[in-house]
Amino acid sequence: MTARKVVITGMGAVSAAGIGAAALWRAARDGKTAVGPLDVRQPFGGRIKISAQVRDFDVEAHVGAELAPFCDPFAAFAIVAADEALAQAGLDRNARQGSRCAALLGTGIGGMRTVEDGMYNVYVANKRPDTLTVPRLIASSGPAQLSMRYGATGPCFAVSSACASSAQAIGLGMQMIRAGMVDRAIVGGAEACATNGAMRAWESLRVLTPDFCRPFAKNRNGMILGEGAGMFVLEAEEVARARGAKPLCTLAGYGTNADALDQVRPDAASAAACIAMALADAGLRPEDIDYVNAHGTATVMNDSNEAEALNRVFGAYVEKLLVSSTKPVHGHTLGAAGAIELVVAINALRENIAPPNLYCETQDPACAIKLVGDAAVARKMRAVQSNSFAFGGINASLIVTPAA
Amino acid sequence: MTSASNEQQKLIDDIIEVVASEGMIPREKLRGDASIESLGLKSIDIVMILTAIEEKFDVYIPMDGSFQEAKDLQGLVEAIAAHIVKEKSAQ
Repeated sequence: MTARKVVITGMGAVSAAGIGAAALWRAARDGKTAVGPLDVRQPFGGRIKISAQVRDFDVEAHVGAELAPFCDPFAAFAIVAADEALAQAGLDRNARQGSRCAALLGTGIGGMRTVEDGMYNVYVANKRPDTLTVPRLIASSGPAQLSMRYGATGPCFAVSSACASSAQAIGLGMQMIRAGMVDRAIVGGAEACATNGAMRAWESLRVLTPDFCRPFAKNRNGMILGEGAGMFVLEAEEVARARGAKPLCTLAGYGTNADALDQVRPDAASAAACIAMALADAGLRPEDIDYVNAHGTATVMNDSNEAEALNRVFGAYVEKLLVSSTKPVHGHTLGAAGAIELVVAINALRENIAPPNLYCETQDPACAIKLVGDAAVARKMRAVQSNSFAFGGINASLIVTPAA
Repeated sequence: MTSASNEQQKLIDDIIEVVASEGMIPREKLRGDASIESLGLKSIDIVMILTAIEEKFDVYIPMDGSFQEAKDLQGLVEAIAAHIVKEKSAQ
């Protein structure tokens, strides 16, 4: 059986840069960081005081008074981004999508704010948790809300693999369409992790920078936590064409694997195998890729490991392959990272622009790759790749190519 | 010995104490030229050590390249000490 071709017909985003895929892309392209002062429940005893959290987001204003009590911010971010994606795809939000549509959402944690609010009530205030704590905190509340909103009665579940969650959700949706399980999939990822407890837990791991996220720099010292959602409408190409939809791009390749070695220490051989798997899946050669949106967290371990993996796969061509991490702009959005960065990757592909890699004044010699630099670079894009590497040694990589 | 170097020695002794307790390494194995590998210290052990250092010295130490570059115990301890001194002077 020849697998069906999968296209992306709509995308949407919520990020620290604001509501909408356009706001996210503008910030990434122009190198305008959305990092700002951390705003969490007080008192906060942590030492990291910056984040790329979604600011001034009123859940009720966005999803309505009826739905708001059921929505942790992560689910609300997903709904807002998915509404944008469906609108761009030209799908009626009030039509029932039915059994041929899946709703898959990647999230690293789920309703972290709801968990913390509940714990605060129990342990500090000696009160009961809010009545709707359980339906709000479960990771599956996100995809479930999406299924209800659009009447998607096909497969529906959360994918949780830390920072690879949304790349895997997107890849799975693609595989379901290729296999003929469904014709359409509403996929992506969401995370709302700028909470007092989550910030302190990440701080304990020593992976947060107190000042700047500097991917691939000699003096990099960690990441900045971000929040948001990226959502997409995937469709079988013939289904999209039949209804007259105009695809944004083709979702051409997906690879995923596991290091099976260490909970926190990444492995370059596995990361390389994952990148190569996505290339093979897309039927592309390494030299067909023009730009890689790197995972590039700016932790010491990730960046040298990722650069090593890129060298293994791309060989001598690595000197020409443009690479940047846009995390200094939108932060590391954990389970949403693969989706938010795919929004950036798709825009890079469509506008033939590689967005900048900020704050890397002196590149680490251990990261021998061709970085974009401080400003965006114009380049004809034939294919763009986006990497996601997670704790637990879970890797995922996606490739987009122009719509035929 | 000047009081400054006394202070520095005390700092280094305190750090080695934390490495011994958090890394679960017998004190006598902790010689300056002992390699990080020979002590069996993995990255997560260094995170545990840094966390304990934070509690003890009331500072935040991000993981930067200095810990990866440290080849032996002395290098690691000096990298930690440099961070503490820098953080303390910034407070």
